[in-house]
Amino acid sequence: MAKEKVKRKISRREFLIAVGVAGGGLLLGTKVGLPFARLKVAELFDSGAAPGGMDADATAWFLITPDNTVKLFIPKSEMGQGVHTALAQIAAEELEIEWQQLEVVQAGTGQGLDDGFGTGASNSVSTMYQPLREAAATMRQMLRIEAARILDISPNALTAQNCQFISSSDKSITYGEIAEQTQTWEIPETTPSLKSKRDFRFIGESAPRVDLREKILGKATFGYDRRLPDMLYGATARPPKIGSTLKSAQPGEAASRTGVVKIVIEDDFAGVVAETREQAYGAANALSLEWDTPKIWQQADIDALVTVGQGKGIQIQKEGDPEKSFAKAPIIEAEYRTPMAFHAHLEPQSATVDVKPDRVDVWAATQFPVRLREFVAKAINRKEEEVFVTPTFLGGGFGRKIGTEAAVEAARFSAAVGRPVHIGWTRPEDFHNGFLRPPTHHTFRGALDGKKIAALDHQQASGAVAFPFLPGAFKAILGADFGAWRGARINYHIPNKGTTAWLPELPLATGWWRGLGLLANTFALESFIDEMAFAAGVDPLEFRLSHLSADEIGKRRRDVLETAAEKAGWGTPLPAGHALGIATSTDVNTVVAQVAEISVTSDEIRVHKVTSAVDPGMVINPDGASAQIQGSIIMGLSSTLVEEVYVEDGQLAADNFNRYPLLRMAQAPEIDVILLESGDQPFGMGEPPIGPIAAAVANAVFSLTGQRLRSLPLKFT
Amino acid sequence: MQLTINRQTYSITEDQEIRMLVWVLRDQLGLTGTKYGCGAGICGSCTVLVDGKPTRSCLTPAATVADKEITTIEGLGIIQDGGEEILHPVQQAFLETQTPQCGYCMSGQMITAAALLDDNPAPAEEDIIAGMNDVYCRCGTYVRIKEAVARAAEIIAEESSNG
Repeated sequence: MAKEKVKRKISRREFLIAVGVAGGGLLLGTKVGLPFARLKVAELFDSGAAPGGMDADATAWFLITPDNTVKLFIPKSEMGQGVHTALAQIAAEELEIEWQQLEVVQAGTGQGLDDGFGTGASNSVSTMYQPLREAAATMRQMLRIEAARILDISPNALTAQNCQFISSSDKSITYGEIAEQTQTWEIPETTPSLKSKRDFRFIGESAPRVDLREKILGKATFGYDRRLPDMLYGATARPPKIGSTLKSAQPGEAASRTGVVKIVIEDDFAGVVAETREQAYGAANALSLEWDTPKIWQQADIDALVTVGQGKGIQIQKEGDPEKSFAKAPIIEAEYRTPMAFHAHLEPQSATVDVKPDRVDVWAATQFPVRLREFVAKAINRKEEEVFVTPTFLGGGFGRKIGTEAAVEAARFSAAVGRPVHIGWTRPEDFHNGFLRPPTHHTFRGALDGKKIAALDHQQASGAVAFPFLPGAFKAILGADFGAWRGARINYHIPNKGTTAWLPELPLATGWWRGLGLLANTFALESFIDEMAFAAGVDPLEFRLSHLSADEIGKRRRDVLETAAEKAGWGTPLPAGHALGIATSTDVNTVVAQVAEISVTSDEIRVHKVTSAVDPGMVINPDGASAQIQGSIIMGLSSTLVEEVYVEDGQLAADNFNRYPLLRMAQAPEIDVILLESGDQPFGMGEPPIGPIAAAVANAVFSLTGQRLRSLPLKFT
Repeated sequence: MQLTINRQTYSITEDQEIRMLVWVLRDQLGLTGTKYGCGAGICGSCTVLVDGKPTRSCLTPAATVADKEITTIEGLGIIQDGGEEILHPVQQAFLETQTPQCGYCMSGQMITAAALLDDNPAPAEEDIIAGMNDVYCRCGTYVRIKEAVARAAEIIAEESSNG
C-alpha cells in the first residue's frame, strides 16, 4: 500500500497555480495524500508510513520571483533536524538551479496548502521525496513550454541550467523573466521524466544547512523570540500537584500589582497579562486560588499501574505457538523497566499570539501548526479559517512540541486584552505541565533449541504515547497504542514468537518522545536477546546474525550488524578494562546497529566510543544524516546513563536541571558513523538511530562485569 | 543607569535595574540572541561575556553589570560600516563544521568558546571539554562542538600568523 504514493502522478486538479503573487510570480504546489489501510496500521507504521486516522498530506510549493529567485515554501517545522535543507536539495535537483538561487521559506497555515500531518515520525523526507521531485520537474517543464513560446523556439531545443533556459543558438531567458511574462500556464498531462540518480548534483551531497548562518549570528527567530509592537506578557496559574483542578480563583493581591493589565479568570484557567514578563509571573503567583487534589500520587502507585498484567493486554504479534515450546524446554525469564523522561528541549514552550477582530495570528515553536490552529480557534471561539499559525524555528522539539499549549494560553490572553501577548514558559513550568516519555515494564520468556531461540514472548506495559492525541473511535479499532509499542515487536527470525502490549491509564500525561517507544522497547528486547545469547553460549553478534530472516530486510540488518561490529573491532583485543556491546533496531524501515565500547570505574559507566552503522535507504544529505545519528546517540545515551524523573508526594520530583541533569560533553563518547545506502527511496533519520544505544551499553556492561542491568538509567545497586 | 553592550551604550530606566540581564537584553533591548533555558544558571544557554568572562545572564541582575563591558552573540562578530558581518573565528568554525542543530543553545556555546579561546588560544581536547562542559546541548552536538572549538583555535592561529 505504502508504495502506491511513489507511482502516483500529480493530476491537474491537484495543482495550485497562482499568477501575480509577489509581483508577477508563479506559484505551484502539490498535495499528495499518503494511502493507508486501517487494519494494516501496525505493519504500515512499522514500515514508516503515517498511521491511519491522521491526515498525511505532503505539501510544499514554489514561488519564482522576477529577480530570478525560487522560493520554496515548506510547512515542515525546522527543529534542528535539517529538514529545510534536505527538502531544498530535493527541489533544487529537479529545478536545475544553483544552491544560492533557492530560498527556503517557512510556510504557515493559510499561506497555501496545509500540511495535515505536522512534523514528526521521521517522515518529512520520506513522504516528500517523490512528490517534491515531481512538482519541481513539472514546474521546470511548464517553464520550458513558456520559454519556448517567448523565445519562439522548440521546447526541446532548450536546456535548463542555472535558473534559466538556454538554446544552442545562444538565446536565453531566466525563470524569473518567464514567470513575469506568462499569464496562463499549460499544465503537462503527465509528470515529466525525473532525473536519474547518476545525474544528481544535490541529492546525496552534504549541502550546507540553509538555516545555520542566522543561527550562528543569534538572529534566528525562535518561538521565545517573536516580538510584536505593543506586545504584553502572559503567565498562567499552574496546578500544584498531579491531577489538581481549579476549584475557585479570585484576583486577590494580584489586582494591585504594578504592570498588571488584566487578570483573566475562566472556567478552568487563571492567569495574568502584564507589561513585563516578571510582572506577569509575580502577579500570577499572587492570585488567590483554591485547587482540588483528589489524590497525592507516589512513584510506587505509578509503577504498580505500569506492570504487565494490569489493565488490558492486546497481542500485536503472534507467530507459531510460543506456549507449546515453553512447555517443552527450560524457560529463561527476565523483566525490565524504563523510567519517565522529559524531552528537555532547551527552548521551553513559547508562542506569540495577536487576536484581532478579523484575524488571529499565531507564531509558535510548534511541530503541528494545523492542529494548533484548531485548538486556538476552539479556545477563543473563533473560526479556524480566521486563525493563521506560522511555526518559528524550534529550540528542540523531540515530539513535545506536537502539543503547543503556550500558544493556546497566549490566544486566551490576547483575546482578553486585544493586544499581542507573548508566552514563554519557565523551565519548571515546562517540566511540570507537559507530557512525558511514558514509563515502561517488560517481561520476557524465552526458550532455546540448541543454539537457536525456539520461542520468545515479550509482554510490554507502557503509558500511552499516541492515544491521547487520537479520536476515541480510532483507539477502539487499534486497541493497542502503536506509539507505546514502537520497537516492541520481535524482528528476529524465530519460529514461535509473540508480543503483547498492556496499556494502563496513568494520572499524568505521557506522549510523543523522540522515537516514541523505540528506545525503551529496544533496550529491553535487545538486552534480553543478549541474555539468550549468553544462555546459548554464543557470541552476541553471531547469535543475532543466526536469527536474521532470509529476505531483503534481513540482509540489510546483517549488513549494519556486520559493518558496525567490524568497524568497532568486534572480536579483536581491546584496551584493558574495556568491553563491547552490540544492539540493533529497525524503525520506519531504517535499520541501525550500534556497538558501544565502555569501561567501568568505581561503579561509573564510561562510554568511550559508539560505532553506528545505519541503512536509511537513500541518503539525501550525508552530513545531515550523520548529525542526526550523532545527536540521537547522545540523547539516547543521556537516557541510558543519567535521565529519570519520578513522582514524589503528588508532583514530579524534578522541576529543573539540578534534579534532572542531561548528558554533558565530558560524558560524550567518540562517535563513528557509517552510512550504508540502499535503494532509491529515503526512509527516516530523525529517530531510528536512538533505538539501540541503551541496549548496546547495557550489553557491554554485562560483557565486562557479568552484571545484567535491567532498568534505565543504568546503575549498579 | 547605562549598560555597555557590544560596544554600544544603552540607557535603562531605574525599574530595569533589578531585572535579570537576560530579560533586559531580550525584552527591553530586543537582543534576543541570548536565550533563556533554565533560569537557574545550569544549562548555559543564556551565557554572555561580562568583561570577557562567561556569565549566566539569567542570574545576573542588570544593576550589577552597569560599569562593565557586556558582549552577546550579536556583538561577537564585527559589523563593518557597509553592514557586512565579519564572523568571529568561533562563529566561522561552528558554521564550517555545521555544528548547530536546533541552534537554541548555540549562543551560549559560542560565547563560552570565545572566552575559552581568549584565555587559551591553543587548547588541548581536555581543555576544550573542561571549558565547554557546563553548557548543555540537547540536540547532542557535543562531538561537533569539540571539533568546532578546535577548528576555531586553528583559525585564530592562522589569523595571527598572517599578522
